[in-house]
Order: sequence, then structure tokens, then C-alpha cells
Amino acid sequence: MKVTRRDLLLWGAAGAAGLAITPVPWKLLDDVSIWSQNWPWIPQPTHGPVEVKQSFCTLCPNGCGMRVRMAAGWPVGIAGVASHPITRGALCPLGYGAHQLNWHPQRLRTVRHRTNSSSWEEARAAFAKACGEGPIAIIDGYPGRAASSVFESFAQKRGSYRAVLGPEMQALSPYEMWSGVPAAGLGYDLENAQTVVSFGAPLLDGWGTPGRFTRLWAERAAGSTDPQLRLIQVEPSFSGTAPSRTATRAWQWVPIHAGAEAALAAGLARVLLDEHLVSVSARGPMPPITLAEAADETGLSIGAIADLARTMVARPPVLVIANDGNPAIAALNVVLGAAGAPGGIVRRAKHTESYASAAADIGSARAVLIDSTVPWNFAPPTNAEVFRFAAWDGGSCTADWLLPAPGFLEELTDVPTSPASAIATYAVAPTLLKAPPGVQSAAQFLFLSGIDPTLMPVEKIIHARCADLFRERAGTLQGQDTTPVAKFASVQKLEEQLWKGAVWIGEPPRSAAFRCALKEWPATARSAQSMSSSSMNWSKAWRAPVLPPLASKLYQESSLREAPEGRNA
Amino acid sequence: MNARYGMVIDLDRCTGCGACMVACASENNVPSIPQATPRTGLTPMLVRRVSNEMEGSARREVFIPITCMHCERETPCVSVCPQQAVEVDKATGIVMQMPQRCLGCRYCMTACPYHARYFNWWDPAWPAGMEKSLNPGVAVRMRGVVEKCNMCHARLHSAKAKAAAAGRREIDPADYVPACAEACPTAAIRFGNLADQNDPVSQEAHSPDAFRFLTRLGTEPKLYYKSKEAWVRALAESTSANAEVKHG
Amino acid sequence: MTAKRTILVLGLGLAVALLAGWVAFPRALYSRRHQPLEFRHKTHAEKSGVAECSQCHALRDDGTFAGIPTIETCAGCHSERMGTSKAEAILVDTYIKPGQEIPWLVYARQPANVWFSHAIHVKRVALACAECHSTYGETDEVRIYEVNRISGYSRDIWGHSISRLRRAPHEGMKMSDCEDCHRRHNLEVGCLGCHQ
Repeated sequence: MKVTRRDLLLWGAAGAAGLAITPVPWKLLDDVSIWSQNWPWIPQPTHGPVEVKQSFCTLCPNGCGMRVRMAAGWPVGIAGVASHPITRGALCPLGYGAHQLNWHPQRLRTVRHRTNSSSWEEARAAFAKACGEGPIAIIDGYPGRAASSVFESFAQKRGSYRAVLGPEMQALSPYEMWSGVPAAGLGYDLENAQTVVSFGAPLLDGWGTPGRFTRLWAERAAGSTDPQLRLIQVEPSFSGTAPSRTATRAWQWVPIHAGAEAALAAGLARVLLDEHLVSVSARGPMPPITLAEAADETGLSIGAIADLARTMVARPPVLVIANDGNPAIAALNVVLGAAGAPGGIVRRAKHTESYASAAADIGSARAVLIDSTVPWNFAPPTNAEVFRFAAWDGGSCTADWLLPAPGFLEELTDVPTSPASAIATYAVAPTLLKAPPGVQSAAQFLFLSGIDPTLMPVEKIIHARCADLFRERAGTLQGQDTTPVAKFASVQKLEEQLWKGAVWIGEPPRSAAFRCALKEWPATARSAQSMSSSSMNWSKAWRAPVLPPLASKLYQESSLREAPEGRNA
Repeated sequence: MNARYGMVIDLDRCTGCGACMVACASENNVPSIPQATPRTGLTPMLVRRVSNEMEGSARREVFIPITCMHCERETPCVSVCPQQAVEVDKATGIVMQMPQRCLGCRYCMTACPYHARYFNWWDPAWPAGMEKSLNPGVAVRMRGVVEKCNMCHARLHSAKAKAAAAGRREIDPADYVPACAEACPTAAIRFGNLADQNDPVSQEAHSPDAFRFLTRLGTEPKLYYKSKEAWVRALAESTSANAEVKHG
Repeated sequence: MTAKRTILVLGLGLAVALLAGWVAFPRALYSRRHQPLEFRHKTHAEKSGVAECSQCHALRDDGTFAGIPTIETCAGCHSERMGTSKAEAILVDTYIKPGQEIPWLVYARQPANVWFSHAIHVKRVALACAECHSTYGETDEVRIYEVNRISGYSRDIWGHSISRLRRAPHEGMKMSDCEDCHRRHNLEVGCLGCHQ
């Protein structure tokens, strides 16, 4: 019997009909639809027990309180700490993406010597050799930490220590010159000021601790035509570039010609002194400028300058904030009586040391060691051998040695007072994430090199500092509750709280504890920083060599912000 | 009692920092998309920058965080979806977007008057190892589907589970705060239950300075904005047709 | 062509299709895998005095479900070999000593976009474990793990019966099964009530 085509067709038809009454088509449809929604290349989150750990962000010297949500030991979410006395739960926009930094494609994992791959042994040997041949300059981007004290100890015997100071601290250096109190011991008493005049400082976006001034401003000024906190922003206007957020949200924006800050400060001081708008006891030196000259340089009219001066003192206390070390603006504060008064520049209770700025001449160093906290664009002198520590490669590195340092929350450190704070604080940021193999911090490197056997490891220094806090019996510990230090029974109990995320807060500032002696008005050159609008670029305040990947939401996937300058990622 | 979750966003306090945008993307497993532009970017929370168009010292700017308004009445996206991939939840008032049900026709994106919906033009990708930082409470979407703010539903889930474990039926309001409201450094974004008269957010929504965008469309959005500045409130009914302001 | 022949051919086609669809297809669709260890529930319950499922399959304080216990729980008793079985040898040598989690194959694994809260169902509503997971946990049965070759999910999700007819009450964990129970109890939950 031959099998014909008709047979096959009939057989096929019956088969198809038969299949329809089997589960095959329906089950296959269901399975294929599930298969098409489970592509293997779509990443899946890890599942595991979730815990929330508390630490502090150490990516810039503000040390904001940070809670990290961890699933199966990996960081999956970031939030602020509402009970932190200064940050009050706030973080900068970049902090919310910081937990992804440790996997950034530019993460450094191996030692590099110029363009070649190298090893820690070779780096140590080169460093030991350099130590034997001449002085070593150590550059620290985050002074005041336990690691910083390792650097300072090392540098005392073998070279020099320099700190990179942000604009908040730079602006305090004139007061150090005039009072002898180190800039690191001074702060801005914003909490008690009623009028704040900022000369280009981006107070509402990238100045000081993210949650501090913006929160004060939000609570006391936002939306009000007669605010309790008057924010006056003196900022040049550049055509083609949007003014800063601080300028367009301030109570008053004073647009001046670029670089004329010193002239305006001098002009204002003249009005204040001429019209006796400041108390005699606070009188400072008369600036050597006429109002006409000031008007000419700033682009404001004489009347406008006079009005501004009167407005400034209408609601005291008034505080003037510069965005760099321009002494003319600091002198204005002295004339106003704000240097050493409540609501002005105050002295934090704790004694501190003076930092030599990294901008100052390093001298003839044989080698320079740059800590991972130093901003990537810091350029060391080229005749020295440069040992640069960094967790990420910011690109175009000119250092001789590029050494992989621990990344985000990968190493134990302490958190000294943030640069602009009016009160001293202290906290401990424990390690929350395991560092990958082959990374080492600069402090560990120095300690392990054995070159200076008197160096102490960071952990020991932290224990010693906690012991000091306990012994002094001053201040309070703020965690879930607030407890005076004097109430702690032992240093172990105090340390336990600190390691869990509590913050030590010092006594309120003693404004009378510092006085400026200023005989004559400081001579100043034009403020170089404000000459170009690029100084306003938002990403400058972020110290790490790379931005968190999610920052792209802010400037690339939206037009909220301009592209970050001088950063390739 | 059914809740009506909404927000009051104080535009006088917003400094346009963008913390809400980053926190939202982090919470919802939205990848950073290197090849995206402002037109193709994925920003379930987006802050727009608007000025009063004046120059010099008279120039004022306002920053407006825009996300899904969770419209209550004739919700535009719900009415156009051929897949029923989006629906208004009776218990919470949240407009729930199901990316897994979406077929990517993008009709809802056209329908949304607030431009609060975003399309996954590309498959999500993270650098090697970074997928370990993904939030386990939120499913990762694939390309070809629309997504939008779901009012941080993962956090509502956690709050419900916590309440159930403690033997409670109602969640503790402190346990359910969306990422944007939690992240805002000036507390400009405030989240609450508009159906609860004792909720301060509900009270603020009725203040004379509070307004909503495009109310003449009748969508009854649940996101209220607030400003003491008249020029900001005047933005409420502006469209591209009568645009006097630049959109960010 | 004769009618008889036609009927024969049609019948053959039908028979082949029915056989393929009802017998061969279910067998071919699923691949069979063994669990890494032969774990016997009843024996463990008796020997360690564990009476409740929740003592090992615990609910954490924050309301999340711990699922299958981690190696730490096993190590609590089995830090050294307690018996002579081959399974125990593997347990101690391959998993407990090196601190490795046992890669159990999970019958009830749901897709990533599903959110199911054991806290709500077990603690608040007091649903018995057996209602969804059968009384398997009260026996010493070591079940084979059958996984759908196309979708990648366990056979337990669709249910053992390929037609979904004449199923046991606990069989099936598809969305429609959850919906059926919710409908019976008049509990409407929106999409995001179960999805994430």
C-alpha cells in the first residue's frame, strides 16, 4: 500500500486537530511567554537578609551621616541619618549613588608604575629609596583624620605635610593670619546669623555640609519676602551661562563684574565706616578705595553700594562668606564685627592645629605622596617622584606611581569636624564593605613600610582619640538619644556608641575666644577664581576622581545641570 | 480605610540639587544609560528648571520636581492602555504601572499630560559586578516597556510585611516614605495620605499657596505644589502653546 | 481512496497527536534533577524535636521570610558528622566545613517580579503551610525536582497535572491560583499588591 500525499495531508490535519485537544499548544504558549520575559542577560538583584548599617560618607571632608541598606552583604540603598546634628538626614545628590562606586569601570585594582603594571613590593622599594635620598612631601585631602596624624608624624621627621583645603577653609585663612587661631579651629555660626552675604560661595548648592545651610535657609527664608534669614548673593553675571542656584533663589542677587569682589568688599566697608553703621568697638581699618572707584570696578552704582551696606546691617548678626582666601572679604567681616561674634566667624571649642596649604610651595621634595582624598586635578611639582593613591582612575594621570586605595566604605576611618561647622564634632566610620584584594591606603602603606617604627596604625589612633574624649568629659554623644559624655561609665561604652554611628558634639562655640587685630586694609589682587563662570561648576565640590554612575541622570539624561567639567565619567 | 497617597512639593524650598532624581533611580534599579540624551533618558523623577525670563538681579528661577501625578479621575494612561498594564489601586490611590504587562506601544506616554512616563529604549546594563547593588525589592525591566513612578512600592511592601510580622493590620506611616521624599535635603518633598485629615500633608494640600498642574484637564493629580511666589503659581496652567517659560 | 482508509489515516494522525500531547510532551517538557542532598523532614523533626515548620523556615523580625535555612542552622547540630549516611558525609565535608551554602533547588521559586509576603499569609491570615506546600514537610520523602525546559521554572508552579485538571488542592502556584483563592475570600488586591 502506497503512502500518498493525500495520506500525509489527512494525517497532518488529524494530527493538528488532535494537538489542539492536548495541552501542547496552550502549555507551549504559556511557557514561551514566560521564557520571553526571562532573558538571561537581564541582571537580577541578589536576595538575602537585609540589614541597615550606619556609617559616614568619607568621599569629602563633610562626613555626612549615612545609612546603608545591605542585602546579602552588598550595599543596595543609601539614606541619610535624621538624627545627625549637622546633616539632619541630608546627603548631596551624588551621595545617593555612591554605593555603586566600588564597581565603577575606572576602579583601580593594580599598582601602576608610569604605563606599566607593577606591584606593591616595587612601590615600597621605590618609596624606601626615595626616603633615603631626600625629603618627602605628603599631601592630604582630608586633614584631621587619624590617617592624617599618621601623615603628620611621618612628615615631621622626613619632610613636609600639606593639606588641600576646600573653599570653606580657604576663606578662613585670613582670620588665622590676624588672630593666631588656626583656621581649622574656626567655623561659621550660620545658625545664629540673620543676614548672610556670600561673595560667590555656592551656599545653596555645594558649599559646606549639604544639609546644613540649605535646611536653615529652607526653614527660615524660602518663599518669604521678609525672611528671618536674609541671603544676599554677590555673584558675577555671565552672558550665555545660567547664574547659580544660590543667586536665583537668594533673597537678593547682586550681579557684579567678574573679579570685583575685593573692590565691592572695600566699597561696602567704606560706607559702613563713613556712615557709622557699625559699632565703634568693632571698627576696622578704612579701605584705601573711594566709592567711585568701587562703583567703577564692580559695575554697581554708588547708590547701590550704599544701599547694600545699609541693607546688610539692617538685620544683624551679619556674616560675610568668601569663596576663597580673599582677605578683603574677611576684612569686611572684621569691620562688621562678625569676626569673633555670635552669628559670625566663631572659634570651635576644641583646640586645633594649623595646616599648611597644599597650594603653598612644597620646596625641593624628593618624592610626593598624595593621599586618595586629594582632588584628582591637584597637580604636584613635576621634578619629584609622585606616589599617588587613588581608588579610581580619573584619567590623564601624571603620577609616577598609581597605587590602588580602598574605595567607598572599605576602610575604617574617623570623621573629624566638617570644615564650616560652628561646633566641633567627631565620629567613627567603620568598614562596611570588604575591600578587594590588592588595595592599600596611604596610611597603611607608611605604617607597613617600617621606615618610621614609631607610627601607629589608624585603629589605635582612633581608640586613643576616643579615650581623650572620654577623659575630657565634655560634650554630648548624639545617636538614638543624646547622652552627655560625662554620663558614660567607661571608654568602651563610649566607643561602642561611636562605632554604631553616634556623633560626638562639642560645646557651643565661644565667640569671645578669638579677636582679629587688623591695622590696615589688606592689599588684594583680583579674585582669580571668579573670573570664569566655570568656577561655579557643581561637580567641583565632589572630591572623588569619578562621579557615581547615576549622576548621569542629572546632566546627561536630563538638562538639570551642565556637564561636569574636567571629568571624563 | 482606603488611603490616597500624595505629595506636597514646596517649590520655595527646592534648590534643584537633584538628590531626589538620583535616590529614585537608585531605589528603582534604573541604570545609568551612557547613550541616552535628555530625550531618551530614564528619569522617573525629573527636576525641571524654569526661570521668570528676566535678566540681571530680577531673575528668579524655580526648580520643579516632576514625577507621576497619580491622577485620580479619568486617569489618561489607564484609559489608553491596550494591555491594562496600568491601573489605579483602590486601596492606596497609587497608579500602578506593570512593566511586565506592557507591550511598549507608548500610547500612555502620549496620553500623559505631565510627560512623567519613560520608555526603556535599551536593555538595562550595569558594569561588571554592579548588579550586586540592585535593590531586591524592585524587579528589573527589559527593553521595550514603559515605566514610571510607582510611589516606591517596594517600601510599601516592606512596611506591610513589617506590620504583619508585628501583628498589625495597618502600616506604620514612618515605615513608608518614598525615596525622593526621604532624600530631599530641604524637606521640600513631603509625602502623606491625603485621605487622612490629620496628616499634615493633607492639610498643606489645602493651603492657599498650594496648586496643581493643569487642573483644567480634570485629571485630579495627587501631587500638590506650593509656592508663595505668584509667578510660580502662574506656571500651573501653562502649556507649550502659551509658553512663556523655558522648560528644563 | 476508501472511506476505511481515510478513517484509518485520520485515526492514526489523531492517535499520534494525542499520544504525543498527553504522554510524550509532559515527559519531554520537564527535565529531572536531584537535590544536592537527601534531606528527610520527618526524621529531622523527630530527632531534633522541631514541631513547627516555622522553627526552621522562619519569619524574620522585619517581616521577610528566611526561606530555606542557611548552612548556619545545619551547622548548629551537624558541625561534625552525626550519622553514617552518605548524605551526611557530603553535608559536612562539602558544605559545613567550607562554610558553603547548599544550592537547594526551590520548588516554589517565583519570577523576580512577584512579591509574596509570608508574614501576611502565615502570620496575619494564619494560612497553613500545607495549603500551598502540601504535607511534604511532614514526611521523609525526598522529592525529585522537575524543571520546565522552556520557562525554567519548577513543575510545581504549573502543577503536576499537565492539563491542570483533577489537581490536588495545593497544586499549582501560578497567578491564577493566587487569584482563585483571593476571589474565594473576596480579597481584592491591586497589581502591585503582589508584583514589584
